[in-house]
Amino acid sequence: MTVDLSALTAPEIRAAILRGDLSAREVADGAFARIEACDDRVRAFNEVTRELAYASADRVDDMVRSGASPEELPPLAGVPVAFKDNMNLIGTRTTCSSRILANHESVYDCTAVARLIKAGGVPVGKLNMDEFAFGSSTENSAFGPTHNPWDLERVPGGSSGGSAAAVSAGMATITLGSDTGGSIRQPGAFCGVVAMKPTYGRVSRYGCVAFASSLDQIGPFSKSVEECALALNAICGKDPMDATSVDRPHEDFTRDLERGASGLRIGVVTDMLDMEGVAPEVKSATMAAAELFAALGAEVGEVELPSARYGLSAYYIIGPAEASSNLARFDGIRYGHRVADAKDVLDLYMRSRAEGFGPEAIRRIMLGTYALSAGYYDAYYGQAQKARTVIIRDFERAFADHDVLLTPTSPTTAFRIGEKSADPLAMYLSDVYTIPVNLAGNCAVSVPVGLGDDSELPVGIQLIGTHFAEGVVLRAARALERAVAFDVTPPLVRELQARA
Amino acid sequence: MMTKDRLLAVLERWEPVIGLEIHTELTSTRTKMFCGCPVAFGGEPNTRVCPVCLGLPGALPVPNAYAIEQTVLAGLATGCEIARRSLFHRKQYFYPDMPKDYQISQYDLPFCAGGEVTVEIAGEAASQRKEGGVDEERRVRLTDVGYNARIGITRIHLEEDTGKMVHVGGSEGRLAGATKSLVDFNRAGTPLIELVTEPDIRTPAEARAFAQKLRLIWLTLGISDCNMEEGSMRVDANVSLRRRGESEFGTKTEIKNMNSFKSLHDGLAYEIVRQAEVLESGGRVVQETRHFDAGAKRTSATRSKEEAHDYRYFPEPDMVPFEFDDEFIERVRARLPELPDARKMRFVEEWGLPPHDASVIASDLEMAEFFEAAVNIGGPERAKAVSNVMLNDLSAHLNARGIALSESRIVPSMVVELVELVEAATISSKQAKEVFADMAETGDSPAAIVEIKGMRQVSDTGAIEAVVTRILDENPNKVEEYRAGKTGLIGFFVGQVMREMGGQANPKVVNEVLARMLEG
Repeated sequence: MTVDLSALTAPEIRAAILRGDLSAREVADGAFARIEACDDRVRAFNEVTRELAYASADRVDDMVRSGASPEELPPLAGVPVAFKDNMNLIGTRTTCSSRILANHESVYDCTAVARLIKAGGVPVGKLNMDEFAFGSSTENSAFGPTHNPWDLERVPGGSSGGSAAAVSAGMATITLGSDTGGSIRQPGAFCGVVAMKPTYGRVSRYGCVAFASSLDQIGPFSKSVEECALALNAICGKDPMDATSVDRPHEDFTRDLERGASGLRIGVVTDMLDMEGVAPEVKSATMAAAELFAALGAEVGEVELPSARYGLSAYYIIGPAEASSNLARFDGIRYGHRVADAKDVLDLYMRSRAEGFGPEAIRRIMLGTYALSAGYYDAYYGQAQKARTVIIRDFERAFADHDVLLTPTSPTTAFRIGEKSADPLAMYLSDVYTIPVNLAGNCAVSVPVGLGDDSELPVGIQLIGTHFAEGVVLRAARALERAVAFDVTPPLVRELQARA
Repeated sequence: MMTKDRLLAVLERWEPVIGLEIHTELTSTRTKMFCGCPVAFGGEPNTRVCPVCLGLPGALPVPNAYAIEQTVLAGLATGCEIARRSLFHRKQYFYPDMPKDYQISQYDLPFCAGGEVTVEIAGEAASQRKEGGVDEERRVRLTDVGYNARIGITRIHLEEDTGKMVHVGGSEGRLAGATKSLVDFNRAGTPLIELVTEPDIRTPAEARAFAQKLRLIWLTLGISDCNMEEGSMRVDANVSLRRRGESEFGTKTEIKNMNSFKSLHDGLAYEIVRQAEVLESGGRVVQETRHFDAGAKRTSATRSKEEAHDYRYFPEPDMVPFEFDDEFIERVRARLPELPDARKMRFVEEWGLPPHDASVIASDLEMAEFFEAAVNIGGPERAKAVSNVMLNDLSAHLNARGIALSESRIVPSMVVELVELVEAATISSKQAKEVFADMAETGDSPAAIVEIKGMRQVSDTGAIEAVVTRILDENPNKVEEYRAGKTGLIGFFVGQVMREMGGQANPKVVNEVLARMLEG
């Protein structure tokens, strides 16, 4: 019998393996069966890693066979995991869904990836994304778009669209994405899964191809808050290879999950709800979530983040500025795409990069290069950093008397493929709620609360915590999850389940 | 006209304004600036590399705390202020030897700023300085042997070194005519400090003296091996000319590829004469980078046209800024060894060396350490005699062989022993030279050499009297002449006695005995 990942959580998988009801290999095969059944339509995976998966699965099965105790078996033993294709893993290509790295083979492991595998995760593949994480729809992939399992005509969000879609469709149990301005939370919301961006510095960035170094953070996707907490347990912590990772005492993020919302001070960010472009169904779902919290015994109040509206502008300076620098290394000299017939080194640079990068990457490199140019630095990068400081102050004020801030994750539900690709500015608006959190370095999780009244597509609520407040944010997320009791199974999976 | 004379003639009319940029690899750090790869010279290409120093996708830099401490040490040793808050910036430009296509460097907040180093210019080198400079009063203090010049240090910052390009198929590894280029990243990421001076230097000799002084300070601190041939210390110079008496700066050129102190001097000398010729023939100096060819002793404009680079500096987002408190700075200050200037003063004040001798010894770390060791063995009262042996016999020996002190067979105890033998009149100072040559050759102790060669000096008056009597008897006419007033003949008699005694007679005693017996 084929294992159905949509019907199992990570702790259930581990328990079944420990009992001997399932082997890790069978679970991995379950992932591969689902990938085979639907990834030709979803296109979440850039690469499927059977050999790596079986090697990890066999290690788990050997442990069980040799009588490992429940304490000895790692916390995510046998759990199928997969990684956004900007994270290095030896034995895979790390392409960033870009032509320039299409054949780039990893020679070292990303810290978060290695930690998730060390915690028992079974790596089943690498996931599609917007090229170099530039985008909110996964349409900017050199390998073609990923499709939303809730509606294959729609985008899964982005840039970690593959990571969200893979969990939603039951092709992996836990996936990792990276979030620079919403690239974990927004696809999480669009695909109806739990998706977290941890506090800046909580998770090592080592081995994740940088977009904007001061904003990037790796985080997990899962069907449930509990799995999100378990994944965070596995990947967090100081890494000597990342100078911006923070050394903090060990915490178990599952510890407070079931404590409920009672007593939590929750601030609904009202001034951002009234912005132009917010879908009524998203607004009403947000208000409903606030009311639920109140009903659960939380102190729900209103709060304003008056500067957050400048976040988008600041982000589209800082992000591209850092990206233009981080992407300079893709020059065709040491690795990656290189034109064959360069007449000199300048020609080699220019044509390799022009051929290797897609339009959005080129747009952002140009934006960022311009913003850092002599004579423009103060007006753009300098000013954006000032705006960033003001936004940080706004959050500090808000967190002085709130534990968790509540906003929609994105102003709309998943849009149609192609709907916004001709209008970058409309696309950028998709991240208006998530971007300020990256600028301030806070943590936030997107929780699916139901289907929109109009679109009948998943709506995500963003719960924001101050620095290193993942514990309280996950506790609130769990309370909301339990209260809404949303079934995260998308129609595509139901159809597959029905056929089986 | 000789180059030297042309330079001196030009310097009469024109005042050069020179600033130096000196890059030094911190070879004392075990590992590279932002990764764990070892710091070393040479080796199989691309064997000391990792994802970080190769700039692989996703790799991140982690700063080397020891390299930062060494930079602060360098700043404290050159009188700089240490920044309380500092950070790295990215300096962005594309070049194949730079793995990330940006260099992690520093921009407006270097670790160290605002220092000063004084250089002593003596002898012929001092003749390059001419009257008529507008800031000479501030800059220069005259001394018995020349002058001291104060050179301001603008800043010292820390950055990572690049890899190295090897061009294949062209001439002498240069880019021109090459069919392909290879890159070796072994050096990439080596910690590199860049010191920038104020435009306070006025002559090639001062530039050379400054670079030598800085090398001495760095060696004393032990932060680098300062090997100019291997490129662990690299000096670039900016130079412009202005008419004597003017304060406005002229247009400058930058000179690169000066791989020795001599090249630094000669490159500047050439460039000063060249600029003067351009200006005097009604032309204008073009702001450009020029390459020094040590063989041809000339500079030439680099082939690539000079572009106004926009490095798009911005704060390195992969690291957090550094905050230095007093405690840290004082902890580093406590590591400062005695610096060359202080050492020289001690040689003068405590050990009674003439200032010039003290300067010469203190300006060479090996010589200074050798000297200290010898004085510790022989006692301060022998300091002057030890320094004489070092500045004369030892220096001449090293120069003749073209070797470093550490490569010679002479050790401090040997010099002390030699001094003691002369002091005890066991050998004459003339014999001492012979003994020195012998010990330099064999590494034997002076006492052993004296013993083996039977070189003991005869001071026994009786023995000398016997010889003198015989010589006087053999030369009655000369004795007559002497007594008639031709006292210059004393030299003849001394020579005869010495020859008779195989050179081993104590000349002082011989003179005394001769004088006495000739008078009688």
